[in-house]
Amino acid sequence: MDCDMEEMSADNVKTSPADHLQQWSQWQLLDSILPTGGFAHSSGLEAAVQARFVVGPEDLKFYIIQVLENTGSLLLPYVYCASKFPDVESWFKLDRLLEATLTNEVSRKASASQGSALLRVAASIYVEIPSLKQMRDTYLGSGAASFHHAPIFGLICGLLGFDSSTSQRAYMFITMRDVVSAATRLNLIGPLGASVLQHQIAHVAEQMTKKWMDRPVEEASQTSPLVDIVQGCHGYLFSRLFCS
Amino acid sequence: MSGKGGERGERKMETGIAAVEKVGGRSTVTRCFSKYPLKLIVPNKVGSSKTDAVWIYTLSYGGGIVSGDRISLSIGVGDGCTAAVTTQASTKVYKSVDSKCSEQVLEARIGRNALLAVIPDPVTCFSTARYSQKQVFRVFSDSNLVIVDWITSGRHESGEKWEFELYRSTNQIFLEEDQPLFLDSVLLEQASTCSIAERMQEYHVIAMVIILGPMLKHVQNQVQDEVKKMMSRHFRVPTPTAGHYMRSESQSGPTRPALVASCSAFGPQAIGVVVRIAAVTTESVYMFLRHHLATLEPFLGVIPYG
Repeated sequence: MDCDMEEMSADNVKTSPADHLQQWSQWQLLDSILPTGGFAHSSGLEAAVQARFVVGPEDLKFYIIQVLENTGSLLLPYVYCASKFPDVESWFKLDRLLEATLTNEVSRKASASQGSALLRVAASIYVEIPSLKQMRDTYLGSGAASFHHAPIFGLICGLLGFDSSTSQRAYMFITMRDVVSAATRLNLIGPLGASVLQHQIAHVAEQMTKKWMDRPVEEASQTSPLVDIVQGCHGYLFSRLFCS
Repeated sequence: MSGKGGERGERKMETGIAAVEKVGGRSTVTRCFSKYPLKLIVPNKVGSSKTDAVWIYTLSYGGGIVSGDRISLSIGVGDGCTAAVTTQASTKVYKSVDSKCSEQVLEARIGRNALLAVIPDPVTCFSTARYSQKQVFRVFSDSNLVIVDWITSGRHESGEKWEFELYRSTNQIFLEEDQPLFLDSVLLEQASTCSIAERMQEYHVIAMVIILGPMLKHVQNQVQDEVKKMMSRHFRVPTPTAGHYMRSESQSGPTRPALVASCSAFGPQAIGVVVRIAAVTTESVYMFLRHHLATLEPFLGVIPYG
């Protein structure tokens, strides 16, 4: 632990200006104000509430933790690989694999929708990375790619120069951010209560990140079958606020 | 029956091999090899003799899978043939000794316009068991496939509920050799933060049903419609604002569904459908399977799980 701290300060001293500039890009990427449409998705929380899987605050906390676990086990490998090999060819392979892996239609469509929006926004913002726009132009018309969220997120992080550990932790963060936000919009919890909850489970999110990080995509698996089933029920809801 | 000498290399790897081909215009098992701990049984006739289908039963010696067992089965279904692979009873996976994991692997090739139905009884892992299962299917665009993959929580009569250490089930479908069509892996492992039992709540069975191929389009459509109708019942009543829910935790009202399922299309032109189910009782899943796979009777000769 102490060694890591020393290395970090040494790096800061060496690469300070670039590192500081990177933080602006990083914060912008993780800011909920980025127009990627993440707020249209509840990670199955809306269906969970209507099916009475989430009835009280303890259920909500448990549900969010299950979502984080499933995100870690199923999607972190894609973020990891895309951030480690942030080139278009590798990304495309990951996109195809994830298309076959997201067998839940609701989460598959949500992933494609969020990934497409993220790429569109990133291509506009990060003009210093022309490959983003090029890749979008190449694949958008052909319909060959689905633009799934996790690989796109990992790719952008990699191209922006974030290390793969930060990229994976960031993906878990935005997942947690969006479910907690969905909980407030579903009136399950108030904005202050949501912020308290988010901080309370941060250490669990970190545990999950450490547990599932740096794995190959061949190991990607689902660990919360109930969450997957409930999320898949989103299309059966009588009335809904969210897309998924 | 044993394989020929030339395939000795293959035999070392595999505990079972079966091939189904057309002989005299009828689906016929032309090759059937098995060795301990696997036994393959091919009954002469299952169901109506008008139906062109062969049934292959897989059995484990001792009625279950023992810690450290490795079972691998290779099945080939020739063009235009129909085959069903099933079990005689649920597959029991006994407790792990020295943390050893038991493993079952199935590799199947399904020919053009052929149908393979893998319709076993569920897997039941006993307390502390460690079990891994992988099924890889290679199909053509006009191949047809039915896969049922399911697990119960253990010997719940003895109070065992999700007490095994590790269960992993991987199902992969590849189109035209190498194009990934369906890649799924479920991993249930006891964790310090959350036990499997906590994660599964009151549900004792997890099941997945895959229906793929042009010959089974009507089965797919029916399953999708019926699962939607069945589940919509639970969501039909518009909920009051959720704030109301959070206030009254001990509400008397509708409870969680005893069987919850969702159905998704997958693949180019929605060539397949996957249903995932969680249920409180094993019997309710048997009923679900009997009902939704009944339309397979003309293909297989009997109603699966009938």
